[in-house]
Amino acid sequence: MISLTSPVETWAHRIPAGAKLLALPFLTLALFLTGRPWALAAALLVIVLLYLSGGAAFLRQGAGHLRMLWPFLLLIAVWHSLTGQMQAGLVVALRLLAALALANFVTMTTRLSDMIGVLTWLLAPLRRIGLPTRAVELAIAMVLRFTPMLVENGHRLAMSWRARSRRKPGWRIVVPMAALALDDADHVAEALRARGGILNDIPDGRS
Amino acid sequence: MTVDLQNVGVTLGGRAALAGITARLAEPRVAIVGRNGSGKTTLARVVAGLIAPDTGQARIGGIDMARDRRAALENVGIIFQNPDHQIIFPTVLEEVAFGLAQQGKRPREAEAAARAMLDRFGKAHWERAATHSLSQGQKQLLCLMAVLAMRPRVVVMDEPFSGLDIPTRLQLMRYLQKITAQVVMITHDPGHLRGFDRVLWLEGGRLIADGPPDRVLPDFEARMLDWGGSDDLAHLAC
Repeated sequence: MISLTSPVETWAHRIPAGAKLLALPFLTLALFLTGRPWALAAALLVIVLLYLSGGAAFLRQGAGHLRMLWPFLLLIAVWHSLTGQMQAGLVVALRLLAALALANFVTMTTRLSDMIGVLTWLLAPLRRIGLPTRAVELAIAMVLRFTPMLVENGHRLAMSWRARSRRKPGWRIVVPMAALALDDADHVAEALRARGGILNDIPDGRS
Repeated sequence: MTVDLQNVGVTLGGRAALAGITARLAEPRVAIVGRNGSGKTTLARVVAGLIAPDTGQARIGGIDMARDRRAALENVGIIFQNPDHQIIFPTVLEEVAFGLAQQGKRPREAEAAARAMLDRFGKAHWERAATHSLSQGQKQLLCLMAVLAMRPRVVVMDEPFSGLDIPTRLQLMRYLQKITAQVVMITHDPGHLRGFDRVLWLEGGRLIADGPPDRVLPDFEARMLDWGGSDDLAHLAC
C-alpha cells in the first residue's frame, strides 16, 4: 500500500492522531519565533533526537523520506551565497528542514485510518447542516486503493507495447491508459452500487 | 428464498442481450451456463438488481431488487468475475466492513463483525493486509467474505473461478459448499458444477434449456464440442 506510515512501532504511534496534528502547527510556528541559526540548529537536533527515540532504523527511514529535499536546500544555499546573505540562507534552510522533519514525523507515526478519523471529526459540522461527507472519506480510501492499480495498468500496457515494438512507448500509451481507467471506474461504480452506493442515507440508495 | 424471473428482457446498445427469460429459482444451488456473449453476465446483474430489465420483472422474495436497493443490500450479494473490479478499499478489514456500514451498522460494530467474518474463514491475520498485494485467489476469497459478511440470502457469482489454478479453485469451491445462502453461479465450464441442483442454459440471450444438471449438461457439453469444431469466430455480432 502507498502509505508512509512506518512499520516500526514507536511510542509516538500510540499518541492520538488528533493531538499530533494539533501540536504540529504550533511547533512549526515556534520555528518562526527565532531568526538565529544556532537556535534553529538546536531545534533540528531535538527533532533528530525525537526520531532517534524510535530507534536507529526509524531515524534512517525518516532521513530517507527527507532526502528529496536536498535540491531545494542546495538552491537556497546557492542563491543566498550569490546575494551575499549567507546567514539568512542558513536560517531558511534550517527552518524548512526542521518543519518538514516534524510533519514527516507525524506522517510516519500515524495510521491512515486514524488520519481519516480526524478528518471525519473535522467534517462533522458539515454533516450537521446536511452535507454528505462520506464521499470525501470514501474518495481518500479509493485513491489509495486504485493508484497502485493504475500504475500496474500502465506497466502492462508498456509491456504489451514493448512486446511488439523496438521503440519506447512514452506518451503513446496515455490515451489507452485513460480509456482503461474510465473502464475500471465503470466497474467500481457498479461494485459500489452493489453494496449500497455512497448516498445510503437517501431512501432506496439511489442518487 | 426464491428468485422470480418473469419474461425478463434487456436491450444493451440496441441489441437484445436477454429476451423472454422466465424461471422461478428456489433450489439452493442454481447454475447459469452458456457461451461468451450469451447474456449470462447480464442476467447475473438483473438478478442482483444492478440493472432493471427493460421488459418483464425480476424479483427476489417478491421484492424488485433494482427498485428497492435497501432491500437488495439485505437480500442479495454479487461477486464479479474480476475481483479487482470489486475491491474498493486499500485494506482487507475496510473492504469487509464497508458493506456492513452500508447496512447501517456503526463503524465499531461493522469492524467487529468484519473481524468475526475473517475469523470464521481462519483469515484473522489478513486484517491489515493491503488488498492490492493479495493473490488473485486471495482477492476472490476476500470478495466472497465481504459479500457473506452482509448475510445475503442469495449470492450471485459471475464466473468466480476464471483465471484461478486448480488447487485455488478447489479450495474456493470447498468454501462455497459451506454457504447456507442460495447460490446462483454463472459459468461456461460444466466441471465447476458438482453438487448443483439446477442448470439454466442461455444462448443468444434466450433460455434454451432448464433442468437438473444430469439432464442439461450432457446436451450442453455435446453442443459446445460440436461448435468447437466449427469456426464461428468469423461472425461479427453487429
